[in-house]
Amino acid sequence: MKLLLQILRYQLVTSMIVLFLGAGLFYVSVRYLIDREANKELFQSQVKVRWQLKHLETLPVYILQLGDSLQIQPVRYPGHMLLRETSMLNLAENQYQPYRQLIFYERALGQWYRITISKLLLQRQRLLETVVMTITFIVALLLVSMLLLNSWLSTRLWKPFYKTLGKLDAYQIQHHETLEFEREETLEFDQLNQAVTHLTQRVTSAYQNLKEFTENAAHEIQTPLAVILSKIEGLFQDETLTESQLVTLSSVSEAANRLGRLNQALLLLTKIENRQFLAGTDPVNLVPIINGKLRDLEDLIVQRKIGIQTELDPIGLVIHPALAEILVNNLLTNAIRHNVENGKIIITLQQGKFCVKNTGKALNLNPEQLFERFRKESTSSASLGLGLALVKTICEVNGQKLTYDIDNEWHILTVSW
Amino acid sequence: MKLLLIEDEKALATSIQNYFQRENFICEWVADYESAIDKINIYKYDCVLVDIMLPDGDGLDAVRELKKKSPETGIIIISAKNSLDDRIEGLNLGSDDYLTKPFHLSELNARVQAVIRRRSFQGNQQIRFGKINIEPQEHFVAVDGQEIILTRKEYDLLIYLIANKNRVLTKESIAEHLWGDDADLMDNFDFIYTHIKNLRKKLMDKGCPDYLRSIYGVGYKFSEQ
Repeated sequence: MKLLLQILRYQLVTSMIVLFLGAGLFYVSVRYLIDREANKELFQSQVKVRWQLKHLETLPVYILQLGDSLQIQPVRYPGHMLLRETSMLNLAENQYQPYRQLIFYERALGQWYRITISKLLLQRQRLLETVVMTITFIVALLLVSMLLLNSWLSTRLWKPFYKTLGKLDAYQIQHHETLEFEREETLEFDQLNQAVTHLTQRVTSAYQNLKEFTENAAHEIQTPLAVILSKIEGLFQDETLTESQLVTLSSVSEAANRLGRLNQALLLLTKIENRQFLAGTDPVNLVPIINGKLRDLEDLIVQRKIGIQTELDPIGLVIHPALAEILVNNLLTNAIRHNVENGKIIITLQQGKFCVKNTGKALNLNPEQLFERFRKESTSSASLGLGLALVKTICEVNGQKLTYDIDNEWHILTVSW
Repeated sequence: MKLLLIEDEKALATSIQNYFQRENFICEWVADYESAIDKINIYKYDCVLVDIMLPDGDGLDAVRELKKKSPETGIIIISAKNSLDDRIEGLNLGSDDYLTKPFHLSELNARVQAVIRRRSFQGNQQIRFGKINIEPQEHFVAVDGQEIILTRKEYDLLIYLIANKNRVLTKESIAEHLWGDDADLMDNFDFIYTHIKNLRKKLMDKGCPDYLRSIYGVGYKFSEQ
């Protein structure tokens, strides 16, 4: 839900409550005023009536009979004075209407009279109508004005916010850019923009540092390794070395070679995890990559008498081309390495799915551990144990899914997108 | 042949220098950008080996300078950086090859020879070794004038062996040359043995003496003795 809409909701609820409470208060207070006025008038009339009754003998009787508003009835005993409200039929309008009545007793010429003075409370009836109408009108006005205000606010006041949001959305750390904004009038947005600028500056420099560190680590480790290997190679040319010395030297050389490859594979893994490879923009057709790789691995396939079966639709996934190569390479080499003599490999490429099936020995380890780094079936193998970890990381970074299934002698690795 | 090596790591530079001196190459060495530019401006080289990361400058700038001064010189970048950007930039600038550290000296040697061969326009691109004659452009191999049909891998292997003649070649370096990054797929080196055996048989069938000697526990040596 939009922030403005949420604010509007609270504003509306609050203003409704305030309006209705205010309307009630208004009604009560105006009604109190009207009642007070009516009472005042009634008491004034009482004074007049009393005076007239005192001079009853000099006044004609009809003055005292004023229809509804003044009634005099002779009574035997006097009662308490009473001020009350009642509903009476108004003959003029032929409907019941509220009246305020003052009833008191007065003695004239030795006779007690009950005197009732009535006052029509028409204003009060009107008041309720007016209050309800006014409140309804104000509510409607408020609603319309708030909606208008909000749409105006969202297009005008919130514009810088949406601009910032759009820039953040399009932000790609690989481009090493810091987000810069123009100064905004609104303090909060200006602060937001400054915070974003600082954040991107820090992020960019941290990313840069990390990238430099990885590169430097590569340099620092590879160079001594290159020295070691070159010295060993020089030693190999020494004709005076004995056979056992040569064998020892050879295992040193093997280990150094392995260290070099390991370092490179780990660096590659780190680079992919750091997303130093730009995300792909176009689908990469995997068919030429697969065929090329199969050609490269031909010797191995022939030597181990592995049968290859392919079913390739010319499609591919959106990925960085270099990563596509690594992905295909590692899946295929994995299928060859863990195959058996006279085994089979079935490669299928369909829309949304790239699947490599190979025959092989039963797996000793838990299938979930298959994608872990340095997880190997046998310690003697020349494999670094990073191949599938790399594939897994590539898939994670690119938003594809890598799954492993086992079906009798078949091991099935599937990349789906 | 005259080489210039621009490399800041002294120990590595000495090994490379020794290696090429045994090939009867003149290999000059400088350790920084400044002296590299000086050398490039004064002398002419057949091939220059450049390390991208130098203490006082970017090796890629040296490549640019070299391309301007003498475009016919072969350039091989040797770098600890395996980053794609650098590789692409280096090749775009006109370097002939890009080799990532650590590398086998025999591999570097083979690449230097290939670059020099490609760059020599005098037509003398033939490779001769004993009775073997190779015309690299046509991938044509003959012993005593009789053509031999080799597979791609056997051909690559032969070129590599001749480039590193009279030297002990380790099995790993041969495997890496032939299969590159897939070399670690070879759980044992029987594989190389198969190729060696086939190549040796094809050569000897045409009356070529057995130039290939196996060095126990290490690898092979290709020589005329």
